[in-house]
Amino acid sequence: MAMALEGIRVVDFTWVVAGPVATRMLADNGAEVIKVERKSPGFMGPRKIGLQPDLNRNKLSVAINMAEPRGVELARRLVKISDLVIDNFSARVMRGWGMDYENLRKIKPDIICMSMSGLGHTGPRRDYVSYGPTLQALTGFVRLMTDPNGAPAGYGYSFSDLAGGLAGGLVALAALWHRRRTGQGQFIDLSQMEALTGFIGPGLLDIAVNGREQSPVDWRSQERPMAPYGVYRCAPEGDDDDRWIVISVATQAEWDRFVGAIGRPSWTTDAKFRTLYLRIRNREELDRNVEAWTRNLPSEEAMTILQRAGVPAGAVRNGADLCTRDPQLRFRDFWGRVPRPDGPDTYVSGIPYRLSATPGSIRSNCPEVGEHNDYVLGELLGLSAAEREELFESKVVWR
Amino acid sequence: MASESAAQSGALAGLRVLDLTDYRAHLCGRLLADFGADVIKVEPPGGDYGRRIGPFVDDRPHRDRSLFFWFYNSNKRSLTLDLESARGREILLDLARGADVIIENFGPGRADAMGLGWAQLQEVNPALVMLSISPFGADGPYRDYVADDAVLTAVGGMLYVNGYPDRPPVRPLGLQAYHVASYYGAIAVVCALFARDRDGIGQWIDLSMQAATTGALEHVVGLFFQNGQPERRHGTLHWARFFRAGKCRDGYVLNCTIGDWTSLIEWVKGDGAAQDLTGPEWHEYDYRAKHAEHLFDVLDAWVADKRRDEVVERAQLLRQPFAAVRFPGELFEDEQLRARGYFVEVEHPELGRSFRYPGAPALMHGTPWRINRRPPLLGEHTDEILRGELGMNAEELAVLVGEGVI
Repeated sequence: MAMALEGIRVVDFTWVVAGPVATRMLADNGAEVIKVERKSPGFMGPRKIGLQPDLNRNKLSVAINMAEPRGVELARRLVKISDLVIDNFSARVMRGWGMDYENLRKIKPDIICMSMSGLGHTGPRRDYVSYGPTLQALTGFVRLMTDPNGAPAGYGYSFSDLAGGLAGGLVALAALWHRRRTGQGQFIDLSQMEALTGFIGPGLLDIAVNGREQSPVDWRSQERPMAPYGVYRCAPEGDDDDRWIVISVATQAEWDRFVGAIGRPSWTTDAKFRTLYLRIRNREELDRNVEAWTRNLPSEEAMTILQRAGVPAGAVRNGADLCTRDPQLRFRDFWGRVPRPDGPDTYVSGIPYRLSATPGSIRSNCPEVGEHNDYVLGELLGLSAAEREELFESKVVWR
Repeated sequence: MASESAAQSGALAGLRVLDLTDYRAHLCGRLLADFGADVIKVEPPGGDYGRRIGPFVDDRPHRDRSLFFWFYNSNKRSLTLDLESARGREILLDLARGADVIIENFGPGRADAMGLGWAQLQEVNPALVMLSISPFGADGPYRDYVADDAVLTAVGGMLYVNGYPDRPPVRPLGLQAYHVASYYGAIAVVCALFARDRDGIGQWIDLSMQAATTGALEHVVGLFFQNGQPERRHGTLHWARFFRAGKCRDGYVLNCTIGDWTSLIEWVKGDGAAQDLTGPEWHEYDYRAKHAEHLFDVLDAWVADKRRDEVVERAQLLRQPFAAVRFPGELFEDEQLRARGYFVEVEHPELGRSFRYPGAPALMHGTPWRINRRPPLLGEHTDEILRGELGMNAEELAVLVGEGVI
């Protein structure tokens, strides 16, 4: 059976991270995503290994020179046979090419255009220059993720790009669904700052309803009350002393199982740890006792002991743990294998869900810029070899 | 633009979703409801556990005052139903006949044991899409392992890269493992609906929250496969080494070195604070990235006596992607969000008050995103659903109440 989104074609002008994450959601499920790219698209590293395959596997690339009027004309012809156009420019770029929604709907009335800018296409700050970390600072992630000594410690990576990409993927699918039902396209103005704000969660309502500014995140729960609850240092492995485990004990039954799993040391019978309320009240002493146990065990072993007893616990995995050792991700074939022209195959993050009848797949590596010029210009747009050659010669298309 | 009548409904209007999830996966149904799907939150007669999680309105704990529940359940209808009872499960199967999607997170194998697994549901409705969200997925060595959000951020690789070196990792703001799993789940559901539209069949989706978390790391996976070394954590220094927070007179500012170097260094030089950053080598991205710690130390000293907003305003005029390091409360005063109408006023008639809720992830010009319904009171729609959708009469309802089924 065909993949779920086969037959949907996407013209993808996005670069860096959030846009490519959004179109990855579609490509993984069989949509034909065609990246329209410049000859040297910037500082994103090699195309066939690393970050780029993770973001842009399963996509095609055509290298159209949008500074040339004939290049814009090619892009417009591509839009005519596509379903969704997505960009992450400020408003004036697509308008400058005559590629904004109002112009494109004249040549393709049911087209869907989605723009994923930093702060949106309207409003006094629409031209604010931003990247993921900028948005994380503006929304509170940098400030509220705090080291115990009080310093801001927010996201070491652009979580914002993943949040914006997931939101963009879902919104695009919803708009495609609506079009299938009604035949109507539309324009979507996605502000990544707004998408990210929704990820803050119930704390926003605490501000709105109770007027309470949020405190820095610590190991007091953001969900149900728990103790022990925290990240505890484990035994060093080789010369690596950066090994940790998270333990989350909520119910009395989990506490009893925890006590059994760690061998019932005498401190666990102390009256001050008898109930959840007391464990929370005396959490500093509790945490020291728990860490005295974890400190002598490798993190994986501590996790196994606790999980076999039914206690929520997880080793703090680094990149090597995840990609080479995690038995669960490997068992579920999470890693997608993609070929490289000049070296051994490499791997990418896979699809976290399985559709029983129409599963998605990892089919190809990130394309080189212009790798699919012949397919897009020849098969899709019907240009002959001689016509394509002339476009290369005139620098309307790069190769 | 869309016609007036289509503009009344969201992009997923007409879909019916049965939401059997607990507080770890509430967001998934909410996302679908926000686009106009009719999402029925099925709660045990005593109420969903999420109603017991704070914060609460005016700090007064009550099942209808949980802001945690409110955030994740706006736009849904609430039906109480005891799925532990045979009659409750029968009613659920009746509802499943008329539903498009069912979402559950009972844990691997539990729905089957309750008689509500994919095999049973498919019998009553072959076109149903069923999404099962579990901590580690429905098979594999960790299948029966248990996890909260923090454990998932650990085993999914998100926790390790946040915080300072030689210090404990710092957990994310917000329940991000739950959130990304719900987003992936909603995406998977719409994909399955496309397949159903074409092939006429429903299907079962098996989603691992651990894998969803790993699928929401930006650099960790790609750079490991490229370099063979795990990425470490560096406080607020972004892995690409062009951003780091610096302390100024009245707060923090996010300094940035990815913009035009000449205009930035001229400004710093003008303040007499450029130290040794004036050489031509600093014009190279790679050089700046390689010497990022020193570079940001100099910028930290430069901003130390300045006001946060003064630095950011000037930087943005120079097209430098600096930002104020804000608390989320400042979002409610943000002129950009206000101009775009981001926060939406939601009335709570039962309290005689209305509150500002966070709004849409995107402005969809053809199909509005709306909060049509404030979060439901416990069992608020039980009556209308059982009478309206299943055609029950008052007597049947009275029996169900008497037996504790609803």
